Amino acid sequence: MTADPSQSAVEPIMTVRGLSKWFDDFQALDDISLDVNRSEVLCLIGPSGSGKSTLLRCLNFLERYQAGEVRKEGRLIGWQEGSASPRKPLRPAALREQRRHIGMVFQQFNLWPHFTARQNVAEALIQVQRLGRDEAYSRAEAALDKVNLGDKANNYPSGLSGGQQQRVAIARAIAMEPDIMLFDEPTSALDPELVGEVLAVMKQMAAEGMTMVVVTHEMGFAAHVADRVGFLESGRLVTCRPPADIFGSEPSDPRLRSFLQTYRERNVV
Amino acid sequence: MKYDLFLRYGPALLRGFGVSLLCWIVGSLGGALLGFVIACLYRWSAWPVRWILQAYIEVIRGTPFMIQLFVLYYGGPYAGLVLSPIQSGIVSFVVYGSPYFAEIFRSGFEAIPKGQLEAARAIGIGEFAILRRIMLPQMMVLITAPLTNFVIILSKETAILSVVTVPELLYETQTMAAETFTFVEPFLALSLFYWLLVVVTAELGRRVETYAMRHLRRSASAT
Amino acid sequence: MDFSFDVILRNMPYLLAGARWTLVLSLTGISLSVVLGVFICAARISAKGLLRRAAAVYISAFRGIPLLVQLLLFYYLLPEIGLDLPALAAAILAIGMCSAAYVAEILRGALQSIPAGQTEAAEALGIPPVALWRRILVPQALRLGLPSLVNELILLVKVSSLASVVGIGELTRVAQNITGQTYRPLEIYLAAAAVYFVINFTLSQLGRMAERRLRLD
Repeated sequence: MTADPSQSAVEPIMTVRGLSKWFDDFQALDDISLDVNRSEVLCLIGPSGSGKSTLLRCLNFLERYQAGEVRKEGRLIGWQEGSASPRKPLRPAALREQRRHIGMVFQQFNLWPHFTARQNVAEALIQVQRLGRDEAYSRAEAALDKVNLGDKANNYPSGLSGGQQQRVAIARAIAMEPDIMLFDEPTSALDPELVGEVLAVMKQMAAEGMTMVVVTHEMGFAAHVADRVGFLESGRLVTCRPPADIFGSEPSDPRLRSFLQTYRERNVV
Repeated sequence: MKYDLFLRYGPALLRGFGVSLLCWIVGSLGGALLGFVIACLYRWSAWPVRWILQAYIEVIRGTPFMIQLFVLYYGGPYAGLVLSPIQSGIVSFVVYGSPYFAEIFRSGFEAIPKGQLEAARAIGIGEFAILRRIMLPQMMVLITAPLTNFVIILSKETAILSVVTVPELLYETQTMAAETFTFVEPFLALSLFYWLLVVVTAELGRRVETYAMRHLRRSASAT
Repeated sequence: MDFSFDVILRNMPYLLAGARWTLVLSLTGISLSVVLGVFICAARISAKGLLRRAAAVYISAFRGIPLLVQLLLFYYLLPEIGLDLPALAAAILAIGMCSAAYVAEILRGALQSIPAGQTEAAEALGIPPVALWRRILVPQALRLGLPSLVNELILLVKVSSLASVVGIGELTRVAQNITGQTYRPLEIYLAAAAVYFVINFTLSQLGRMAERRLRLD
């Protein structure tokens, strides 16, 4: 949100190099390399099981990977710098320090049901940023205002719709003022009529210059909001280009072509 | 550690273990039987009977086993019921366990989808046959684990019988401790006996469970 | 048979005085066991193999040996190793430590029903483990486990009767003493049973009320 337009264009905030991950024998990610530029919205699309969520979860080290590296502003995420193979993970406190600058929004919202919306947002401000309760609460309310839920601060998650819960989860992440936000299929668990309100909030964040990586099945969002769209299949990043190149003309890559075709067939009204 | 103590008191401890086993097994079987009858009565009777059964369940579950034992053993004779320590131990075991068994059976009954019973009635199968051929085999899968669990709990309650001088394991152990002024050896032996009991029961429960689940295995043979 | 309500009425004050100690035993017992139980449960699901095994041994030992035996061990064995506890402290310790094994398993079951995503969300925000446990996991586990914890408390009211064996003047012991003087075991023990029942019935109603109030919708 503090984007400086003069340097925003091509400077990568996050770099992924040669990332590979195996679940036992199954290779989930195969030699992925990718840059995320500052203030960019990067959407990741692909069939289910293609590894897009796994890739996203590697970016803040919720998943450990066996080969390659993820760097944010030059700092290696999750692993100790320069440690030999097998690499040593960072000490928990150092990993937490890195994660507090990377916001994440989950498919299932993952709100804490025993806290109100305000408490959900304030919790990390109190526990991680060590703010006093009053300050944390007023910042939480400001974040809830941003997602148009200022009037629901006292509601428990069970008293909110899915779309509202997801917006609280977004407020929880942005209240930490992260440098980059990761979205893991943020609208997949929502009823169709609630998808719009969540996408609107995300669009607003994009307009304000937040760097966002979004795993999504919402092709409309990818086509209209993304700066670039990455297509994954079978753990490989097949292509990563501006949306016009992906959705505009008939794509040259047969896998992307068949994925988009399936998608269009399913969404014919 | 004085190993010769084990030799000297071994037979007494074994006898005590036997008495514990007797009270436990007979008490468990009787309790399960009474519990099953209560669960069946509860399922197939009108509200006055249900109300009485529910009160029985609540009262027995709301009072300590030791008090129930005392009422029976010390109070019994004043109501014309004179029982030996072992007899009163077994009877109070049956009474004490029955509501817990009844609840386990009841939860098993409730787990069978109503549609299955309606299907059976629709083709004219009698109520008793439904119970025996359709409900019980399926219930077994669900209730074996809680049954095993509760039977293991009961095995430990046998220790309480020592208080009314039933010559069971703890009683013999205390006798040994008092006569030899030792403590570690008798209680070590006691712990071993109980551990053995728990391990064997748990294993038996697992086997029954596997047997009861045989129709759920994907490649079940016809036998 | 001549059942005498008069004996019951005359001795009720003594029984109720004993019931006070029954409550002291079970309430301090459950407090101890919840505190201990949280730590044993944390060890039981910790990533460190040694802690996990130690917790498993604790749980199976305290659940595998009859409580009456544990009580006698605490009462007779601790003095032998130089720890001369008053009978009441030994009884509370035995009841609390035994119950902690069950509480740890209750909490473990409750924790398992908390979606893993909640922990992931906390990790993604950089919330440290102590705060995760103190603020997010334990409060929810206690809430989810409340029905089982009330059952455990009711169980403790009942097993506290075992403390009579080491001479604590709780309800059962008082009943024994009165019986020794009046030779009216049937009346007195039935009266004691009634007092236990009233305590437990009240507790289960209170538990139900608390459960309703803590529901989050």
